[in-house]
Amino acid sequence: MKMEFARGLRAPLTAAAGGLAIWPFVFSGAYDLRLFTLAGIYVLLVLGYQFIFGHSGALSLTQGAFFGLGAYATAILAVHAGWSFPETLVLSVAVSTALAAVIAVPVLRLESHYFALATLGIAQVLLLVCREWVPLTGGVNGISGVPGFALLGHAIPNGVPSLILVWSLVIIAAVLAWRIQGGIYGLGFHVVRAAPAAAGAIGLDGGRFRLVAFLLSAAYAGAAGALFVRVNRIVSPDVLEFPLMVTCLAMTVIGGATRIAGAFAGAVLLVYLPEWFRPLDKYYLIAYGAGLLAMIVVAPDGLIGAAARLRQRIAPEADTPPEPARLPRPANTITASLVFRDVAKSFGGVRALQGVSFELRRGEILGLIGPNGSGKTTLVNIATGLEARDGGAVLYGNRLLTRLPPFAIARLGIARTFQNVCLAGEMSALDNVAVARSLDGDVDLETARSQAMYLLETLGVGGVAMMRALDLPHGVQRRIEIARALALQPDILLLDEPAAGLNEREQADLASRIRTLRTLGLGILLIEHNMPFLAGLADRLVCLHEGRVIAQGSPGGVRQDPQVIAAYLGLPQRAPG
Amino acid sequence: MRAVICSCAALLAVALGAPVRAAEVSIPVLVPITGFLSLEGTSQRNGAMLAIQNAPPGLTVRADVADTGTAPDVAVNALERALGREAPTAVVASMLGTQVLAMLPIALEHKVPLLTVSGTASVTEKGNPYVFRFFPGDAITKIAHVRYAAEILKAKRLALIAQTTEYGQSGRAAIEATAAKLGLAIVFEESVDVQLRDLSPVLGKVRAAKPDVLLLHLHAGPTALAIRQAAAMNLDIPIVAGSALHQPTTAALLEPAELRGVCAETNASPVSGGSPEMERFLQQYRDRYKTEPDGYALGQYDGVMMALQAVARGATTPAALTAALSSGTYRGLAMTYKSDGKGNMAHSAIIVCYDGKSRVPRIAKRYDDLDGVLAR
Amino acid sequence: MLQVLANGLALGAAYALVALGFVLVVNAASAVNFAQGDLVMAGGFAAVALGRLWPVPGIVLLPAVLAIMAVLGLLLSAIAYFPLRGRPATAVFVSTIAVGLMLENAANAIFGAEPQAGPPLFPGAVIALGPVSLSRQALAVIVTAAVLITAQELLFARTRLGQRLRATAQDREMAAAIGINVTWMIALSFALAAALGGAAGLLLANSFFVTPTDGTNYMLKAYIAVVIGGWGSIPGAVAGALLIAVFEVVYPSLPLLVPALPASWLFSETTATIILYIVVLAVLLLRPRGLFGEAALRRA
Repeated sequence: MKMEFARGLRAPLTAAAGGLAIWPFVFSGAYDLRLFTLAGIYVLLVLGYQFIFGHSGALSLTQGAFFGLGAYATAILAVHAGWSFPETLVLSVAVSTALAAVIAVPVLRLESHYFALATLGIAQVLLLVCREWVPLTGGVNGISGVPGFALLGHAIPNGVPSLILVWSLVIIAAVLAWRIQGGIYGLGFHVVRAAPAAAGAIGLDGGRFRLVAFLLSAAYAGAAGALFVRVNRIVSPDVLEFPLMVTCLAMTVIGGATRIAGAFAGAVLLVYLPEWFRPLDKYYLIAYGAGLLAMIVVAPDGLIGAAARLRQRIAPEADTPPEPARLPRPANTITASLVFRDVAKSFGGVRALQGVSFELRRGEILGLIGPNGSGKTTLVNIATGLEARDGGAVLYGNRLLTRLPPFAIARLGIARTFQNVCLAGEMSALDNVAVARSLDGDVDLETARSQAMYLLETLGVGGVAMMRALDLPHGVQRRIEIARALALQPDILLLDEPAAGLNEREQADLASRIRTLRTLGLGILLIEHNMPFLAGLADRLVCLHEGRVIAQGSPGGVRQDPQVIAAYLGLPQRAPG
Repeated sequence: MRAVICSCAALLAVALGAPVRAAEVSIPVLVPITGFLSLEGTSQRNGAMLAIQNAPPGLTVRADVADTGTAPDVAVNALERALGREAPTAVVASMLGTQVLAMLPIALEHKVPLLTVSGTASVTEKGNPYVFRFFPGDAITKIAHVRYAAEILKAKRLALIAQTTEYGQSGRAAIEATAAKLGLAIVFEESVDVQLRDLSPVLGKVRAAKPDVLLLHLHAGPTALAIRQAAAMNLDIPIVAGSALHQPTTAALLEPAELRGVCAETNASPVSGGSPEMERFLQQYRDRYKTEPDGYALGQYDGVMMALQAVARGATTPAALTAALSSGTYRGLAMTYKSDGKGNMAHSAIIVCYDGKSRVPRIAKRYDDLDGVLAR
Repeated sequence: MLQVLANGLALGAAYALVALGFVLVVNAASAVNFAQGDLVMAGGFAAVALGRLWPVPGIVLLPAVLAIMAVLGLLLSAIAYFPLRGRPATAVFVSTIAVGLMLENAANAIFGAEPQAGPPLFPGAVIALGPVSLSRQALAVIVTAAVLITAQELLFARTRLGQRLRATAQDREMAAAIGINVTWMIALSFALAAALGGAAGLLLANSFFVTPTDGTNYMLKAYIAVVIGGWGSIPGAVAGALLIAVFEVVYPSLPLLVPALPASWLFSETTATIILYIVVLAVLLLRPRGLFGEAALRRA
């Protein structure tokens, strides 16, 4: 699996890595080696935090608690039961991950401000328990006399040997993290974080991503805690206190929350900074706060992100687009229709939909029309699981769709686009489409990108593949969304105003593309206001007005239906005569 | 941090032609200047630097001050740094128990004596010959604390409110042990968090238990709160507080009237004066630091002075100094110091009481040599 | 029992001001202001500092403290909120954590780490008064807090400025569409929040002293109060704060009120805190809406 290393900053980061490697040989006093070892431990902590805070965008405040838990687990079992270093390392990781698993289910589904408080509350409870449970934890004095590192019976003394041990583990952990967040899985994280509605629409289970991220963050923190207590030989409740959490947060933000190099930069910098800033005395901590504030305001993607952007500006590196590749022919599974039966929906007192019934068959193009506010988009949202209906049902084959989450519905083969385009703005057009290929287990990032390229070209937007989605004009973004929907190789396609912003030639291209899809057997629903576009395209039309179906049938018939005309002209429903 | 102090008496002596032993020593001062112990850490620093200012003639002392914050690993960083930079003869160490405990193995490895004023018992229970504590440990002060209640206040039933911090838990254990030995009953005890604001529920429970005396073993803020709230609810039980009360900044939180009849145990109360040397120390401290000294400052002053005098007598290496500190007796301003073999140098305590008219207490009772070490 | 409740009420009144300030910002800016607790601490130190300059009763200093804190609130919105509009919510969390850190350490640098006492609200000794042993200071705190909360309510209900603030809080886009200067309204909300927090600081500084590290504790109380009361609900925030304070005071006193209960660790202050957190977690998990608030689960 080919992945990029140090995207955009290859030369500077390689040089920095080299510098980091020879640093302990240049500064080799006991004090310097100790600091460097501590820095490594914090790198590990931050790498873990990046999963939940950086990639999942969730402000978890238990990272310090997981760290402390790992430290205490190691201390208790090393001192009271003589467990060896490998045993306690595994245990610390297990204990922290187990706690994360226990609290994950209820806590992860909370909205961000509740999630932060819940995690903070859990951390506080752990701290209080730790202080009070004196026989187990030594109370506020903690546990001292923790033995140092030892492997296979041989003690590994402080100084260079410990440093090498710690940093070897850090490098392994970093490579692991890199493999997890790189590749197509990493793109999935980005979409779940940046455009959650889109993530569901392409079959990504946001809850699953967050759970994995949370467990990983805990595991890394537990490991870091286990190492920490072996270096310091003592553990006390301050490892569970809020300042450590703030340090972890600061390191992550300042280094760069989503880049591996950011973990290194942030951790190393913030371990050394207090030592370098000793002259500032008590004003150091004010500078620390100011630095954190400056970083989040000016460079939200941290030092590494800022460096990458700077480099892009100085020496812009145009990424070469990949060669397009056709998608494999999908196995023909269901030939079912999408059936709407008596669907009803109210918002507050307003009846948005009432008694809506119709069928979208395979191999047909159905136009859904109606004045603004008639409920068209709401209907699609209900079909794709974004909103819950209040009455009626949506069926696909034999399956009742109305209780499934959006990602499950997408995986059944129902794809959609959004009325207000929903792309991950910071990702390239290519990647926005490529990530939708992740449902196909055989596909790696390179292949997905090639296939995405093909799809973009068929929609006429291949030229902007390497550009960031948010830099692109609205009409182009809409077509990227369509490409993304097609990447799912769906059987049912729900398009919300796909022709908006397209000129006539582009509309013609799109129309022919849609006809091809019809030939392939897809059922296509088009929400549109653009009548000429629909005219030559739709096999049938359904007209909604104020939440009810007022006409359905052939395009000619529907367009001449007096009720439809009245609705569009804004006249009351039952026109006289 | 970068305070390099030089005693110029040596130069003067050379100019006058007198033979002089110009010894140069380095004593880094690693204390908490930031964080919740910055008051005590600053007292340590001030006491140490004042002692260095008054060093015996013929000594050049270099004292770099570094902040240890609140976490053990920061203290260890500071110690490693100091050890790597210069070859210190002794180190003034933070009085926070967990920080001293973390520094002990390093001191052992480098064989450098630590001079501290930590009151945490476990600091001298690790069998480490390189720690010297110039503040009576909880085992000593709490004897004074309880004995005063028993002997002077004639108490048979005690109530105790302690802190959930290491300071609080250590003291609580010592009080329980002493009370048991003296045959006193502890009819109520509870440990409270440092952040607790309203102590009236706890004080209510104290009242219901009908003790003869209320013992407080709390930090500065909570001590003042407890005394104030006890007065507000007319608790009418004599209170003997821990040494946090003796600190002038704590007494400053209360009105003199609220302090009437309240006593506190401590190692020393410099502001209460008592001897010409104490008055001189008081004046010097006030002039230089523009603030009132507390017992920690005085204890650290005595400790560093003892070390400097040993150095002036020839113990210029860490090993020699350690030996001198372990075997010598030193009559300091607060009390007489002598090691009990484990590094506990201070064995006396005092009880100070407030008369309700001022915030400066008077010394009500001295308890010298509570564990018999000085007599040996 | 009455005594215990009265004490709880005094503490709760101060907490209510803090929670109120917190929820105002939540509503106006959809932002969690992690610095709210440190603003309380700053108000307390402002009272201490002013009290040293002018030895007058705290009630006289209150308007000055309100003014100073309002300015601080505007400053806070300028450096920690406005530059981050359009970013995910976590960014403002982090920026306000950073500002809180700066406030705490500035207070430490200027005033030192030890607790300081602020001037009493009204002059005169702190003595018991009435059938219930409520100290004069506690009574003054309750009254002052009640006055401030009422003033804020009146501001919102009866003045044009208040209407605009409310409109902004309800729907920022709509408010902007009808010509309200949303930026200014948000800034004012921050100023109001800081002023209320600072007032709480002044009220608490005499009875309970003020220390630079107090901020986190007050922040947690406000956060918990708003969650229990219902995210975004103003009466909820006040109710939540009172509930917390009463619980903090009543729970450890239960052995006094119900003699059958043992005065053991089960009813200690620490246990009370642990139970409070567990209750909060339970609320978050079972009824995230709290007492009066909106639904809390994420959508996608």
